[in-house]
Amino acid sequence: MLTVLLRRIGFSLLSLVFVSAVLFALTRAIPDSPARIVLGTDVTQAQIKQFEHDHGLDKPIVAQYVSWLDGIFIRGTLGTSFITGRPVGPDIVSTLPVTLELVVEAFVLALILSIAFGTISALLRDTILDYAVRLVAVLGVSIPGFWAALLLIMLLAVDHDWFPPGGFQPWSAGIGAHLDSIALPVFCLGIFYMAVLSRMTRSSLLEVLGLDYMRTARAAGLPRRTVLIYALRNALVPVITVAGMSFGYMFGWALIIESVFNISGLSYALLTAIQQRDFTLVQGIVMVFTFIFIVANLVADMTNMSLNPRLTAVSK
Amino acid sequence: MRRLVHMFGGPGGLAGAILVLLIVANGLAAPWIAPYNPTDVDMINTLAEPSPDHWFGTDQSGRDVLSRVIWGGRASLEVSALAVVVGLAGGITLGLLAGFFNGGWLEQIVMRTLDAMAAIPLLIWAIALVGILGVGPFTVLGLTFGNEVKLLVLLGVLYIPTIARIVHTGALGESRANYVAARRLQGVGSVRIMVSDVLPNCLSPVIVQATLLLAIGIIIEASVSFVGLGVQPPAPSWGNMLADARNYLFSGEWWLSVFPGAAISVSVIAFNLLGDGLRDALDPRHTTQALTA
Amino acid sequence: MTEELLRIDALHVAFGEREVVRGVDLRIAPGEVVGLVGESGSGKSMSALALMRLLPTGGRISSGAIRFKGQDLMEMPQRAFNALRGSQIGMIFQDPLSALNPAISIGRQMIDMIRAHQPLSHGAAMARAEELLTLVGIPYPKQRLLAYPHELSGGMRQRVMIALAVSCNPSLLIADEPTTALDVTVQAQVMDLLDRIRTEFSIAILFISHNLELVAEISSRVIVMYAGRIVETGEVHDLFAAPRHPYTRQLLRCIPRLDGSHGAMPTIPGLPPRIGALPPGCPFAPRCDRAEAICHNETPPIVWHNRQMAVCHFAKEAVPA
Repeated sequence: MLTVLLRRIGFSLLSLVFVSAVLFALTRAIPDSPARIVLGTDVTQAQIKQFEHDHGLDKPIVAQYVSWLDGIFIRGTLGTSFITGRPVGPDIVSTLPVTLELVVEAFVLALILSIAFGTISALLRDTILDYAVRLVAVLGVSIPGFWAALLLIMLLAVDHDWFPPGGFQPWSAGIGAHLDSIALPVFCLGIFYMAVLSRMTRSSLLEVLGLDYMRTARAAGLPRRTVLIYALRNALVPVITVAGMSFGYMFGWALIIESVFNISGLSYALLTAIQQRDFTLVQGIVMVFTFIFIVANLVADMTNMSLNPRLTAVSK
Repeated sequence: MRRLVHMFGGPGGLAGAILVLLIVANGLAAPWIAPYNPTDVDMINTLAEPSPDHWFGTDQSGRDVLSRVIWGGRASLEVSALAVVVGLAGGITLGLLAGFFNGGWLEQIVMRTLDAMAAIPLLIWAIALVGILGVGPFTVLGLTFGNEVKLLVLLGVLYIPTIARIVHTGALGESRANYVAARRLQGVGSVRIMVSDVLPNCLSPVIVQATLLLAIGIIIEASVSFVGLGVQPPAPSWGNMLADARNYLFSGEWWLSVFPGAAISVSVIAFNLLGDGLRDALDPRHTTQALTA
Repeated sequence: MTEELLRIDALHVAFGEREVVRGVDLRIAPGEVVGLVGESGSGKSMSALALMRLLPTGGRISSGAIRFKGQDLMEMPQRAFNALRGSQIGMIFQDPLSALNPAISIGRQMIDMIRAHQPLSHGAAMARAEELLTLVGIPYPKQRLLAYPHELSGGMRQRVMIALAVSCNPSLLIADEPTTALDVTVQAQVMDLLDRIRTEFSIAILFISHNLELVAEISSRVIVMYAGRIVETGEVHDLFAAPRHPYTRQLLRCIPRLDGSHGAMPTIPGLPPRIGALPPGCPFAPRCDRAEAICHNETPPIVWHNRQMAVCHFAKEAVPA
């Protein structure tokens, strides 16, 4: 158990280093030198040389990468912006909570609802409820969140004034105002994954219900509730794997949703950084999201191992 | 008819197949079926409601929304289909090599690299990298490509791990099958066995996965174009049309948001239905994954 | 008539239009061991699953009557049936690896089962589980309670299955091919265990197998099924000494003998008929070495000879196998 866990963690760390190297190489592959972006086009060669020397850009690429890694893992600054001259870490830390709140709430909502709906759908297979869940699920995976956002703003915020059309009210503005401001974004962010995960729960549970050990459970005369728990312990494994991936992916969609609702979270900060061509900030934000993605996958794997101990034996 | 339904794994799959056929036909025939030039500006007739002249109305520059939706479909299909082609080319090659020469260093290197690549959240990277590279057209070997080519190559590369894993699993099983040993004894070369014997036998789940990736590709193209990093205006794409529509949420020009979004949803439903149907028909054991991005 | 534990009359099981069980009668007295023999697809497992309300989706009892301890099982509401299932009738299955939930520890599975039927505390149920594991011959039972099915060997798993099935002192145990997935040596141990369990719990067993020799080892009475029907029943020694149905005869010839007579193992030529494409007359006729014209055209009669019954036109001929 422990060795499997350590191997997984080790591999996740390796992935992170690999992925960061790719990211670093790609940002250095841009045609424009950062010096030109910062200083403008009207500069002398000498000025460029000076700028590159000041920011360590004349060092070998490997040395630059190592110093960036050092900035990420050891000093936690996530690099220093060429544009603002400040470490980007604090900027990221200040906008992360908003995005994190949106994603966590959307994720929890999506996970709970999808497991409930998927289970109902599988247990009441081919009833009206099953068809309803499946219809919602097909629509949910096909309607892009940002389009749903536009439609809901038109219908619920503009036509009816039930929700604010955008903006983010912090908790300090009152619970009601806060919840009102995040209700639509959370819904639009969560609906896709609610649909994906409820489809998975349904098909996985249906498959498990047909297996031999479920027949044993019924032959044992276990109460319905226990039978269902026995099934879910196995059926949720693929659901949790995909849920882990979804959590990381949601930060990507949060970017679009934040932009529609004018919420200044970390994802929105990424778009601004791109516009300002502040690549250190872009790198930093992408690293944070990638880190979250990898950790979420790791947590999903660990959850599965505790849910279904056989997996630790298989992955040896 | 019954055979058709069976082929696509049920009525849903058949409906999906028909819709996909229409979408592809629309993409190919866009220049002939679009009633107007999608970029023709008509400043006298801006923000016109849907009417017999302009079925889907006109936008802030008086451009015909229907024509833009039709051409947008072409752009959307181009990006999602070519991305899948890139993913298939890379994924099949690597998956076959790793699966066929299993147990060796080649398999280890390929599969571990792909595992690490799977640690990349797709949409964030697509947005960030296109952002870093810049949205302008770019030139390679004297050929100039639009910005969307960056996006599709990027997507394609990020699809590779998914496809390669499926092919790897299939090829792993096939390469141990007796018929491969028999072909070897006949003196048939490895590459030929791989391409003409092993590959066709593990293609079914790949087809299913590719269909589902097309659906994801459409959504991602629209999203990236929506934040201004995909298809560049004035060329129409469903995503950048919706980005324009954002400015008219409060003034009641509903047709600007409704039609391009509906086009995305219908396309995604079509590919999902087809994918689910094909999965039931070709891959009953569901070796393909449900996809998210 | 003696008191009956289980009585099944004219049971028919169908999947859509296809009848896989076509009129099975079965009686089991308390403490009696009855063997049910037939090839795969003969309907032997389906009869047992129907009795337990465990038929695969699409399957249903189309007609017949099932009585257990005088209660009508077919009319019993699901709740009451669920209380009876597991506590009064236990069942063990062919492949103990796939029949045990891989995600739940042995102990938890046993405790859940015990507490579903008996008003015991968690601790008491655990003690009972440990006792049961000892009883079925599992070493270090306390530690094994924490183990998961994949951590045990095939034989150990089947012992756990048996412990689970008898944990609530049922009066009937249905064993559906309990040794088929096991090695021959392990098979013998499991058979010994079943025999011991039978005396210790004075439990009746319905032993289902395709292996007539194995059935004879433990049963007092044997029922032979072919194509959804009973073709012969009788006491084990009668049936072995003088089988009256050619199918039974041919099954007996397939048992390998240790008397040194070498030569090719006899097999029964041909395949069982496809359900839904039954030949007219006797369904076994196309494969039968005794078949005559009448067998292909007329349904064979039920012929009783003392306590032995056979469904064959030539059942009067008692020919040693």
